[in-house]
Parts: sequence; C-alpha cells; structure tokens
Amino acid sequence: MIRIENVTKYHEGRVVIDDVTLTIADNTNVGLIGPGGCGKSVLLKIVCGLIKPDKGRVLIDDIDVHKLKPTELAELRFRIGMLFQNYALFDSMNVADNIAFPLRQAGETDEELIAEKVKQALIDISLPGIGERYPNELSGGMKKRVSFARAVIRRPPIVFYDDPTAGLDPVTSSKIFILLRKMQHDHNTTSVTISHDIEGIKDICDRFAMLDRGRLIFEGDRPAIEACEDSLVSQFWQGYSDDELNV
Amino acid sequence: MSASPDIPGRPSGREPSNFREFLSALGEPILYLTRTFKELVEMFGLTLYYMARGRTRWRAIFEQLHEVGNRSVIFIAVTLGFLGMILIYQAGYQAEQITGDLQLLGGLFLQLLLREFAPTITAMMIATRVATGMAAQIGSMVVTEQVDALQMCAAPPVDYLVVPRFIATTIMMIVLTIFAVLVSYSAGALTALLSFGLNVRTFIDLSFIGWFDLILCLSKALAYGMAVPIIACHAGLNVSGGSEGVGRATTNAVVNASLAVVILDFIITSLGYVALSLLPS
Repeated sequence: MIRIENVTKYHEGRVVIDDVTLTIADNTNVGLIGPGGCGKSVLLKIVCGLIKPDKGRVLIDDIDVHKLKPTELAELRFRIGMLFQNYALFDSMNVADNIAFPLRQAGETDEELIAEKVKQALIDISLPGIGERYPNELSGGMKKRVSFARAVIRRPPIVFYDDPTAGLDPVTSSKIFILLRKMQHDHNTTSVTISHDIEGIKDICDRFAMLDRGRLIFEGDRPAIEACEDSLVSQFWQGYSDDELNV
Repeated sequence: MSASPDIPGRPSGREPSNFREFLSALGEPILYLTRTFKELVEMFGLTLYYMARGRTRWRAIFEQLHEVGNRSVIFIAVTLGFLGMILIYQAGYQAEQITGDLQLLGGLFLQLLLREFAPTITAMMIATRVATGMAAQIGSMVVTEQVDALQMCAAPPVDYLVVPRFIATTIMMIVLTIFAVLVSYSAGALTALLSFGLNVRTFIDLSFIGWFDLILCLSKALAYGMAVPIIACHAGLNVSGGSEGVGRATTNAVVNASLAVVILDFIITSLGYVALSLLPS
C-alpha cells in the first residue's frame, strides 16, 4: 500500500504540491490527472523518493521512503518500475543493454538468461530485433515502448507511468495502453498512471485522482468521477471548457 | 537587486533596507560556498564508500581512462612542450645577460617542473578539457531524466557515474604529470641546445632533485586528480533548468576546478615546505 500523507513541496517560493493526502491500495491502478504544470510528475517523483518533500511523508508498505538510507532506498526501488515522460533511455547503451540494465543492477549475472528475457521483452512490445540499435535511432513511439520494457523487466509489483502516451499518434497510444493493461492483468501490479489521454486511462484505471495547482481536488472511482459536480473535474474528464476562446 | 519603496511588501525606510541588502549580499555567497563545500565533501565521502563497497565496473573505468588519458596526450604534450621551450628561452636569456653561466639551467628547471609546473599546468589543462566534458555529459543526463532513471534502476548516480571518472582521472593525472615532465624537459633541452648551444648532457642534471621534489609532484597530481572529477561531477549532477543549466554547469565546473587546483597548490606547497623545514638538514 502507498500512503501519501500531507505532502507539500515548494519550488523557488512557490507551492508546487499543496498538502496532498492520498492512499493507493495494493493491486489498484490509479489514474492521476490534471492540467499541465499542476504537479503530477513532481508528486510521482516524491512518491518514489527522487524528490524530497518539504512537509509530509510517503509510506510504501509502511516504510517512510524519505527516511531511508541510500542503500535501503535502492533496495526499495527494486520493487518499483518507472516509465518516464521523456523516455530517459541511456544514450550510451543500445536497446538491449537499456532493457537489461535493471536486471544487471539487481545482481543477475547469467548473460544467457538476460539475453532471453530481453528478447522476450522486445517481442512483448512488438519490436523484435532492435536490440542492437541505439536510442537516437528510434522513433518516439519505439522509445516509449523500450522505456516501458525497461520499467517492467524485473516484474516490479509497483509501476509508475508518467504520461506514457505523450506526443504519440493514436495507434501507438493504443498499443501502449494495451501493454499497460496486459502488465496489470498478468502481474497484478499496483500502478499510478499520469495521462492527459482520458479515454485511454478510463479503461486501465480503477480509481482516479485529480490535481489542480498542486492541490488534490478529487479522488474516487470511475462512477464517482463521472458523477462529480465540481466543474473543473467534470470539464477535464469530459474534455470541454466553459470559457470562451479569445483569439 | 535594488531597493524600491514602490514595491509592495518591501520595508520602507532606506537604511534598514540597504543594511538588509548588504547583509544579504555578504551572506549569500558565503552560504553558497559553505553549502557547495559541504556537498563536495559529501560526494567525495560517498565516492570512497562506493569504491570500497560497490562493484568495480572495469569497462566504464577503461572507457574513462581512455577519455581522460589517451585523448589528452596531444593536448598536454603541446601545452607543456611549448611551456618548456618558453621557460627555458626566457630563463636562459636572463641568465646569459646576468651571469653568462647556463650550467644550472637544466637542473633548476627540472626542480621547478616537478615542484610546480608539471602537476599544476597539467591539472589546469585537464580541468579545461575533461571537467567540462564530464559536467556537460552528466548534466545532459540530468535534464533528460537519465539520472532519475538510473536511481529508479537502483543504480546510485555517484556509484555509477562518479566512481569510474574519479578512479580514471586520479590515475591519469599522475600518468599525465609524469608524461608532462618528460615532454617539457625534452622541449627545454632542445631549446637550450638550439638557442644557447647548451649541451644536452650538461642540461640533464638530476643533482637538484630529491625525494621532496618527487613526493611534492606526486602529492599534487594525486590531489588534483581527486578534486577535478568530484567538482566536475558535482556541477553536472546539480544541473537545473534544461540546456541553459548544462551551459552554466560546464562553466562552473571549469572555474571551480581551476580554483581548486590553485588552492590545493597553495596548501600542498605550504605544507611541503613546513614539512621540509622540520626535517633535520
């Protein structure tokens, strides 16, 4: 279980995350939505210990993430996978080494086994035979899928997806969501998915949370968000605006 | 930042505002320096910790040895070669004007090279060429979230990025310093022969060289070799603000690494002479 308790984060005197409290039960898939710049990615990085909050705490299975020593935090991260918004593939490594990296870090030394797992991962993301290519030789959609393969190669019980379909065409987006759904179905993961693709995450998330200017303004399941009377939430969910467009 | 009574929230009254600004202007760089120094010491400690406890990635170390060492050879050879020629020409010209005796030229030049020029100029050159590269490379990894990805793969950035660079630069600084002595001395010998007709056998004079000179030379090379990568990697890992931040980090890396070389030079030289004065003659 992930518990975010009264987390607040300031950046250059401005509040980025404002007293957010949220609980994510095991095997739950939460969709984290909100306008651009509202603090979704920052919250996700706080949860996995990449950014330290100024107030509050984050507990993963009752362990306070920000009180861990670097070695203990590294141990905890063996149980977490993360797909980054901008792929974050290592430039200096080819695709196969990128995907194999988490396995090698976890102490796997059997290179034949690693090669077999990487080969299977590439088949799973429908990109067989690109292991020798480097990230700069791939398209955005391919990078996203490779990044996905790297995030889940260790079969972590917790996975965070930071805008997995940003900047992708509808077909590639659909492929990514299929991969996410398959991962959840096959491995019973707990996940948090940030996305602006509301139609896409409707089908893969059990619960939804919405941030606005750093504050959590909604948390609930799909019927609750569909029935929500808060105009900001309903507008975002349904994808329309009351404001007139001033051109 | 200028004080203005028109800005809401600012205290009115010129003197308290100016005084506060004066204190702020005084305190800010001191706080920055203290914080940076503390972070550098922490990074140095962590680097030693991971060297002792972490896995040794030989491939990464060899890549860095090649990057720091092999790719700097020509740069160091040209710089130190010309420096040797210039110093010998200047010193020889002065000696010829004053005493006309050039017999001590080679011996004293070698002592000066070992004690000061070879380690310090080599470190400055490495700070220019290598520290900028390290800061830019790591800084780019920070802005493209690759460093975050490393952490999420349970690979501590200090262990993965700093340790190989630290080991390689420390080793190569010593190797390049020895190489710099050889190149600079050879270039000096050639200049002495061609400009002043000084015999190479007369120029090569080891009578002024003692253990003190060798220890001072190697101590400096070792200290610079450890300081430069720590400062460069610290600058790279603390990048913020996209490509503009990477530019700032590379500038910080070369400025801070050069400053560190000068400060370390002063400290080690002072300590060396204090130790020398304590030794029985």
